[in-house]
Amino acid sequence: MEQFLSAVFAGTASGSIYALVALGLVLVWRGAGVINFAQMGQAMFSTYVASTLIINGYSYWIAFFIALAVGTALGTAIDLLVMRPLSGKRGSAILASPAMRATVPVIASLGILGILQSAAGMIWAAEERGFPAPVSTLGLSIGGNIMPFTAFDLFVIGIVLVALIITTSFFQKTGMGLAMRASALNPEVARLSGIRTSSVRTLSWAISGAASSLAGLLVTPNANLSPNTLDLILIIGFTATVIGGLDSLLGGVLGGFILGLVISFVNVYDSPSDIFLAILALLLIVLLVRPQGILGSKEVRRV
Amino acid sequence: MLKIENLVTEYGAVRAIDGVSFTAAEGKITTVIGANGAGKSTLLRTISGLERAKSGQITWADKSLIGKAPESIVRSGIAHVPEGHAVISQLTVAENIEMGSLFRRRNFRSDVKLAIDEVYELFPRLAERSKQLAGTLSGGERQMLAISRALVSRPKLLLLDEPSLGLAPLVVEQIIQTVSDLCRKSGLTVLLVEQNANSALAVADYGVLLSLGKVVANLPAAELKADASLRAAYLGY
Repeated sequence: MEQFLSAVFAGTASGSIYALVALGLVLVWRGAGVINFAQMGQAMFSTYVASTLIINGYSYWIAFFIALAVGTALGTAIDLLVMRPLSGKRGSAILASPAMRATVPVIASLGILGILQSAAGMIWAAEERGFPAPVSTLGLSIGGNIMPFTAFDLFVIGIVLVALIITTSFFQKTGMGLAMRASALNPEVARLSGIRTSSVRTLSWAISGAASSLAGLLVTPNANLSPNTLDLILIIGFTATVIGGLDSLLGGVLGGFILGLVISFVNVYDSPSDIFLAILALLLIVLLVRPQGILGSKEVRRV
Repeated sequence: MLKIENLVTEYGAVRAIDGVSFTAAEGKITTVIGANGAGKSTLLRTISGLERAKSGQITWADKSLIGKAPESIVRSGIAHVPEGHAVISQLTVAENIEMGSLFRRRNFRSDVKLAIDEVYELFPRLAERSKQLAGTLSGGERQMLAISRALVSRPKLLLLDEPSLGLAPLVVEQIIQTVSDLCRKSGLTVLLVEQNANSALAVADYGVLLSLGKVVANLPAAELKADASLRAAYLGY
């Protein structure tokens, strides 16, 4: 029983981080039509900033919020400095065909990932460094009993829940959120309604940047920080979005939690070496049974 | 007044609008009729900025619209209801309507509420269904919703593309009548594209007959309706 509970808690905690990563990916996919491979590069970069601040004596929370701001700024900058020029007048020669329009921004995001990783390597000398957790990562003890979860697990789940509630109410309750949903669902009707779709695109990149930097901050205490440690998280996060449905925010979040639990159970009851086999099997089953993902819409996308 | 001069719009090698000139008088209904492929929808899409004009001029309230994006054209008082009951089916009725007024919220907050109340009064059925997803509405209700979405932007010029498409004659009658009442009461200028020439000419003041991207007749609606030879040659009845 204790083993089971500990698998559930660990899975929910890591699942909530994958949910954040998936959220960031889906946001940029829906808002800008780009699969952003640079996402965890952005997260890595902002986490390095936080780590440097903490090493220099700043408190965890100051570093935490500055990292979120850096993540948001990086997302915004990618859209304004790279993606927008690509879709502008000067980029139109390269992006003449729909196939190029779909692929060029993705390749550009890979380039950005390379730049971020190299820059981090140059600035922070590429050495692995630890990253502190604000609370203990050891089993929580209540009244002398060691609980099957750590204080950090609870911290992660709590923070991610708050982030998800903020995101959901932003999308459901505010005019800007409505504008973002409308432009993702039907850009033409959105533009005819006066919604500035280019601002919506930038905002998608910004929020996605914030979500992924949060994921970076929450995942590194259990991982260690180096310029490419987070690559793996991106792969898991991407798998989560495909399982949940690439065009559904809720689907991506759901996929993240499912993957977190699956990985945790395989880890506890089987062996860590089977984790990727399990992910692959899960992905295959979903693609065979429901190719659009659990909550994805049926619209066929030809590549 | 909307003034169109020598307008040309191309899709690749196809010239969909081929040197069109006409004006739409203020406070009047001008209907653009013609067979399938005459360029009617392309004409509206070029006015609202969804398509880029190859050459020619579009002037609205003495300002050129050429090169402007749809989101700024709607700010100059032109609302376009595109073909096919263009609503967002995954959003609720209320959200679809709210969407049309988002850009006015900062400067005209109190009027936005008023405008929304007005469209609910105009189409009480939408008020009953305001919490439903737009995808669950009937075709006629969807068209009402699309028009409401346009009306809450407080347009001076309404571009209506085939509101009758796929709807029962009774519903068509009702929708066209509502638009015509609006025009008479509030001085709204309407550019109505229709394939169903009879019902369009019945309410319109002026008729522009398009064929293969060119204007072949531009007459008061009654005269166009009476001209049997034009009807036979271009509309096939």
